[in-house]
Amino acid sequence: MSAGPATTAPALNMGGRRLPPWVATTALLLPAYGWLMIAIFLPLGAMFLFSFMTATPIGTKEIGYTFDQYKIFFTQPYMWQVASWTFQIAFATTLICAVTGFLAALALARSGLGRSQWVFLILILLPFWTNGLVRIFSWTMVIREGGFLDAVVQFILPEAASVGFLYSRPAIVLGLVHGYLPYMVLTCYIAISTIDDAIVEAAESLGARWWTILGRILIPMAAPGLIAGSVLIFVPVVGAFMEPRILGGPQGVTLGTVIEDSFTQGFNWPQGAALSFMLLAVVLAIFATFSGVLRRNAEL
Amino acid sequence: MSDVKLTGIAKSYGGSPVLTDITVDFPSGSFTSLLGPSGSGKTTLLRIIAGFITPEAGQVTIGGEDVTRIPVWARNIGMVFQSYALFPHMNVRDNVAFGLGRRGVKGAEAKRRVDEALEMVRLPGFAERLPKQLSGGQQQRVAMARAIVTGPKVLLLDEPLSALDRRLRQEMQVELLSLQREIGVTTIFVTHDQEEALTLSDQVAILDRGRIVQMGAPAAIYERPATRFAAEFLGDANFFAGLVEGGAITVAAHRISAPGLPEGREVTLAVRPEKISLDATHENQVRAKVLNAIYAGANLTYLMEGPGGQRLKVFAQNSDGVILPNGAEVTLSWPAAHTILVEG
Amino acid sequence: MKAFGRVYLCLLIFFLYLPIGVMIAMGFNASPYYQLPFEFSTRWWHELWQNAELLEAGKNSVIVAIIVTLIATPVGTAAAVALHRREFPGRNFLRVMLLPPIAIPWLITGTAMLVMFYWSGIGRGFHAMLIGHVALAIPYVVLVVSTGLQTIRQDLEEAAMSLGATPLFAFFRVTLPLLTPSIIGAALFAFAVSLDQFVISYFLATPGYTTLPVKIYSAIRKGFTPDINIISTVLLLASMALVLIYFIFSKFGAKDVRR
Repeated sequence: MSAGPATTAPALNMGGRRLPPWVATTALLLPAYGWLMIAIFLPLGAMFLFSFMTATPIGTKEIGYTFDQYKIFFTQPYMWQVASWTFQIAFATTLICAVTGFLAALALARSGLGRSQWVFLILILLPFWTNGLVRIFSWTMVIREGGFLDAVVQFILPEAASVGFLYSRPAIVLGLVHGYLPYMVLTCYIAISTIDDAIVEAAESLGARWWTILGRILIPMAAPGLIAGSVLIFVPVVGAFMEPRILGGPQGVTLGTVIEDSFTQGFNWPQGAALSFMLLAVVLAIFATFSGVLRRNAEL
Repeated sequence: MSDVKLTGIAKSYGGSPVLTDITVDFPSGSFTSLLGPSGSGKTTLLRIIAGFITPEAGQVTIGGEDVTRIPVWARNIGMVFQSYALFPHMNVRDNVAFGLGRRGVKGAEAKRRVDEALEMVRLPGFAERLPKQLSGGQQQRVAMARAIVTGPKVLLLDEPLSALDRRLRQEMQVELLSLQREIGVTTIFVTHDQEEALTLSDQVAILDRGRIVQMGAPAAIYERPATRFAAEFLGDANFFAGLVEGGAITVAAHRISAPGLPEGREVTLAVRPEKISLDATHENQVRAKVLNAIYAGANLTYLMEGPGGQRLKVFAQNSDGVILPNGAEVTLSWPAAHTILVEG
Repeated sequence: MKAFGRVYLCLLIFFLYLPIGVMIAMGFNASPYYQLPFEFSTRWWHELWQNAELLEAGKNSVIVAIIVTLIATPVGTAAAVALHRREFPGRNFLRVMLLPPIAIPWLITGTAMLVMFYWSGIGRGFHAMLIGHVALAIPYVVLVVSTGLQTIRQDLEEAAMSLGATPLFAFFRVTLPLLTPSIIGAALFAFAVSLDQFVISYFLATPGYTTLPVKIYSAIRKGFTPDINIISTVLLLASMALVLIYFIFSKFGAKDVRR
């Protein structure tokens, strides 16, 4: 036993004063979840309570509790129209995003771009992290009467009438597609890039043409990405209010703007709370339906 | 120098037992392998000795001191991880000096001991490198140096060689053994590689489903496996089962005898493939038909169909260049002394 | 096919950046009514510096974002460490509970905060916005730091402990240095989330205290002049810069740990 590393063993025993592990765990978690409790979950609970009130509890007004706020779709049939517009806009936005976003993801993953893939991907994702309000605002510069689009059209056809379509539902859809398309590109890209080249090559070696490869291999295998992207777009879009306001003008009445109005203009908070909760129910139903796909996608 | 004693260790996860009533003695300065398939509990056992896991029952003592309730950082152990777990943001010197710093050894004394340890693992002059600048074998040596530099009471190795390729692994086995002999630290080594366990250890403990099924010197376990599992897991074996009548069992009209058979009991006998010869020179004899011969240069493995359609494996030296053709009928024989009575 | 793919991607990128480019250009067009043809002018740049309200809102935005970052980063990092490195019952439930702030439309969360804060006497304004923004930023911080933690092997801390380090020392000496790039990334994220946040701020703003996006929104609704374009451009470039820095950081971080 020659000169091994010396055999000191200083007293390391620090005695038995150890805190149980749950103390540290709680200390680490409490700030974050306490904060979320105060700022997210308690407010949602408070709003749920509000949605049963007869009036906004201001001053000394007598407040009763009622289900009436949830009957708005029966007392104001106009609301059916609003809901229908909202869902039409949401479906159109999601569908357009799905088609263009899937094709973009396909082009990104399978165009042999090599390292420049990342440049393209970052260029596509970058606007997504900028202010949504500013981007919606920027469209008004383009599609208003006498805006950039008109200027381009009239440069080519000097006699053409204005093609500006600001303050219309197509304008709302355009703005929403612009805002949420990067989501779809990202989820589809993640799904497609996990498809092994060898699978496509195997199909080609078996005589499949490109439409067979697209329909039988790429779309089915990218389906989780398509579904995840669709959910992540549909949900915020049904709750949108700023986009319809700015791009829809008087045409832009949606569930979102009605809720906004009942909180900021009409001061009918119980009504807004009830509508918010019905919207939340729709959102939660969507998440519940697709939770399996979303979870699998998150693991990718 | 300290011995490690485990008494009645038990641990379960979510109601299913991982370790049941483990009682073992690791003598001071010995090299013990914990050998078992994945899920046998060998890593859990090592982590209990290290102090990462607290057992539900039982006691761990190191050098006579009960450390069951002492946390890992106060146990004075050295441990080498499967992935080496070198700190990627520290150079080799800081990695090796980490444990010294925790023990208050700093400055020139720390430098001297780090250099000494790096010398021992034959990596002098690598002190300023970062782990990612080293090869797998070199990282392994740094991990060793880091574990022994503090002079731990016990050295725990968690499959430290499994990430290396075959040739480097054999080289490291030799170095590991000579290093362990040099510093004489009690060493406990987890592996699923039976050959590694046989070459390195003073004693081998075979684990199966949370129990130590057999423990002893490598040769003792190989020559006298106590259970069918031990016989199969450590090396190859052929098995015969039957009722003992007149000191032997009968398998399809062939009598197979072994020392110390209990009369009138159903038993299982095991024979190592290399103990069987392809002629009738020994007392236990069976007829068999060659199904397949696997040629491996210096030796041959025959897969055969024995009495009652039973599959047999036979190892033969390629001493005369003759390979039996498929379908050939031969008489196999082996000494009764090499026929081992094993538990089910 | 491959050429087609590239053309398609370029068209898509053109679509994404076209309105932004037009908006920036209009900020340097002389006409107050966005009339074309284009005539270059820095008039609105100078006007902006006269617009005290807009500048005040911009200052508020930056101050809120800085404080939000300073709170959300440590709080979220601590939660991420607990969620990733500690065993306890209900861990998956707590992970799921991070999603509502991200997934529920902000209109719903924002109005809920308005109701609750008003009712409970917390009120609206600076402190209310701070509470709301931090809550939105925490899940993002947890997600970014968790991604970083996943690339750091857990046995590094175990190795440190086997060498005599207490868990706390092992965390600060081994895990934290390796986690730094992720934490910086998370902080940038939190800053960007707060700086760009409009919906929550909109419901929690008071006439006396607003942030930049809220001010821009009310300007758009009431009639606006191109100085809005200038300040929007500044906001846009600021968040783009933050995201680019984040990308660079996360890439360096990943490279360092993997090799």
